[in-house]
Amino acid sequence: MSYKLTLTRRILLLTAVVIFGMTSALAQAPPAGAPPAGGGGRGGRGPQAPRTAKAVALFDPTGYWNAVVTEDWRYRMVTPMKGDYGGIQLNPEGRKIADAWDPAKDEAAGEQCKSYGAANIMRMPGRIHITWQDDQTLKLDADAGSQTRMLNFEASQAPGGDWQGVSRATWELVPAGRGVAPVGSLRIVTTKMKPGYLRRNGVPYSASAILTEYFDRINEPNGDSYLVVTTTVEDPTYLGQPYLTASHFKKQSNAAGWNPSSCAAK
Amino acid sequence: MKVKHISVLLIPALMSVAAFGQGLDFSGRSGLPAGIDISGAYYPLPGQDSGLITASGSLVEYGGIPMNEAGRLYALAWSAARIQGRQHQCMGYVVPYTYNAPGNFRFWEERDPYTQRLLSIQSYWQISEGLRTIWMDDRPHPPAFAQHTWAGFSTGKYEGNMLSVYTTHLKRGWIRANGIPQSDEATVSDHFIRHGDRITYFSVVNDPVYLAEPFSRAYTMLRNVKEPDGWLYACDDGEQILGRPEDLVESYDWGKHPFLREFADKHQLPLLGLLGGPETTHPEFVAKLKDPAAMETEAKALLAPAPGAPHASRAVDPNPRDGEIHVLPVQGNVYMLVGDGGNIAVQVGEQGVFVVNTGAGQLSDKVIAAIGKLSKNPIQFIANTNPSPELTGGNVKLRAAGMDPSLMGSFFSGQFADAGKTATVISHLNTQIHLTDAKVLGADGIPSDTFVHDRRRKFHNGEAVEMFYQPNAVTDGDSIVHFRRSDVLVTGDIFNTTSYPAIDVKNGGSIQGEIDALNYILNRTIYEHDEEGGTLIIPAHGRLCDEWEVAEYRDMLVIIRDRVQKLIKNGATEQQVKTARVTADYDERFGSNSGAWTTDVFVAAVYNSLKNPPKPAQ
Repeated sequence: MSYKLTLTRRILLLTAVVIFGMTSALAQAPPAGAPPAGGGGRGGRGPQAPRTAKAVALFDPTGYWNAVVTEDWRYRMVTPMKGDYGGIQLNPEGRKIADAWDPAKDEAAGEQCKSYGAANIMRMPGRIHITWQDDQTLKLDADAGSQTRMLNFEASQAPGGDWQGVSRATWELVPAGRGVAPVGSLRIVTTKMKPGYLRRNGVPYSASAILTEYFDRINEPNGDSYLVVTTTVEDPTYLGQPYLTASHFKKQSNAAGWNPSSCAAK
Repeated sequence: MKVKHISVLLIPALMSVAAFGQGLDFSGRSGLPAGIDISGAYYPLPGQDSGLITASGSLVEYGGIPMNEAGRLYALAWSAARIQGRQHQCMGYVVPYTYNAPGNFRFWEERDPYTQRLLSIQSYWQISEGLRTIWMDDRPHPPAFAQHTWAGFSTGKYEGNMLSVYTTHLKRGWIRANGIPQSDEATVSDHFIRHGDRITYFSVVNDPVYLAEPFSRAYTMLRNVKEPDGWLYACDDGEQILGRPEDLVESYDWGKHPFLREFADKHQLPLLGLLGGPETTHPEFVAKLKDPAAMETEAKALLAPAPGAPHASRAVDPNPRDGEIHVLPVQGNVYMLVGDGGNIAVQVGEQGVFVVNTGAGQLSDKVIAAIGKLSKNPIQFIANTNPSPELTGGNVKLRAAGMDPSLMGSFFSGQFADAGKTATVISHLNTQIHLTDAKVLGADGIPSDTFVHDRRRKFHNGEAVEMFYQPNAVTDGDSIVHFRRSDVLVTGDIFNTTSYPAIDVKNGGSIQGEIDALNYILNRTIYEHDEEGGTLIIPAHGRLCDEWEVAEYRDMLVIIRDRVQKLIKNGATEQQVKTARVTADYDERFGSNSGAWTTDVFVAAVYNSLKNPPKPAQ
């Protein structure tokens, strides 16, 4: 009996110790999807400034990247014919808009940048240049249409309503092992976009569209480096189901080929 | 009892809680890799590249594929009618094209049951019932002379948030099944990145034969919520057109493709872009679209080979050339020895060793030592498939190292003092004659046991061994050797994976006899599954193969024959045929501009054997 009591006490004590330790560890852990709290080091308990998105970057997305147009070539390199929206599940309202595409009308209305909005700019043949605007903001310039996207790691009160909308960026962590550097993707959710085109032939997205992107960097054994952009466009206004694509860019060592151009309606 | 129950429940719970809190990870201590889990059933994303899923795509729709000249010319010559051929009906699909298939995919882990170490990740695809093993245990890739498969040989590792895989040993397959080839020299680097229930799949194909730049591509797979019920791909080849000649391989003449502009016209796309090439993948191509007339001129120049000398092969030499003999188990009782010129086949068993061809003779002592490790029995028979010095150079030493117990004490002993004291060398009579005339080997290296009929047979080491005479192929003395139970065919110089066949016109060789011999081989082979495995083929030079590679070689030679034949009918001279670069779509794989057997010499052999066919071999 005394042996059993002793064992029970030991178990309860062990339980308490483990739960305390775990609670303590979890209390210090960053919330899922957020950059890990920084600073401190062993024994550091004082107030710490939160580490910035730049400081906790999971990979380096900066530099010049050249679009490699091997996916959906005939829809991206050349403006497709009116009504050619193969692969996109448009609803009747979306088809109606696409079938009425009139590039001259867009041009006349000053709407020639409709296919250069955030939901399609990464599919345009061109180069992008990514820099840190500040510690919490990535700036993405595209030479196609001379567009600029601001990818904010902090909540923004910007009203949006322009071609590039409002983008919220996060480093999406994948749990890694102890002693292993954090890994993951750059996740960007863009809303409040001005209505535009998913393809240059007038396949529409609406102001209520939500664009979710994952940026991943892949380093090949031969030294080539690629930025892979995985995209989902959800738009109940014009799409019968989410529009999913993947595109990629090859890293350049310099600005060679950087060719800012104006938007073209066709 | 109650306390015991508490302990039983609490201890695992405590362990799991503690492990959860610390992020369960034993990497670096147990060898268990920490990585993303892609296990599950997936299907390809419907949408992107609509109309380009596996086994689709229109003719002359190559935009965005960084093909080189050879790749473009291969595709422009490709006719969809070719898939009526028996060996093409159940062709498998290679990585990465297969991940664009319309069927289902499954990924699962294979772990050591005792240590839970991750051994491999398995990938199965419904179309062609492909199975890919991604080895996760750091094992090396096989040597270059090992067999190639549809799935290739893959090794993987976790890199950040992705599974990265490197693949070699792929068969010749498709980049797109509208004629855009991916060569058997291609290597693939692919990456699986999981985003929730979605895998972003990114692949880079490096193909020195058919690509001018690496072909990179991103794609998406979606996870199935419920297990799909479609997993099989029932395919069995047959004669689709009764009486279709075996040496018919449909192809289009360059510049005369009947559907050249069909897709371009239908979708109002520029032909120049649809012909592919690295420039079509770059943003700068947009600028070209502004000048349709210039694009048309440029496109027309791409429809036939550019003037100039034939290109040399960019394939890796499968022979290690390291002064050593490498032994590759083939199947059954048969091994392939690589390293001394031509490949050597060795059959072992309870009786003496049966050797087919003896190599160049530079490393014969090492060959004999290697055979000695495979069998304690002496070399009893040596078969020579043809008189090439690369295949018969070791005759003298291997013969001397062996013995033929079947002759000792027989009536031959009364006639020949040395009967049975060496191995018996067998060949077709014409090979014996050519070796005698060459005066290179000396009497001890000349086959002493010859045959003149179509078939020589033995039952040796528990299986039937047959030699089949192939008249007027590379020479007029060629044979193939079939180990029937092991199901291994040794082709001699009729087939190899490193060059065009060395057709010796002066000694009775011909392009038509060569094609007939390849078809003879194909009539004796069987595949295990979708043109893979089954009968294994040991070529004179190059890697171990199965019937797919023989069929590809046959197709190539038929196409080249037909091109040369048409030129001859139009009155072309030998030089004009060479200038026409009739082999331009295959030179990056098999061509040579140096040594004795150049592309020009091969084309001359084709030309001359068509112009003056040899008399039927005696």
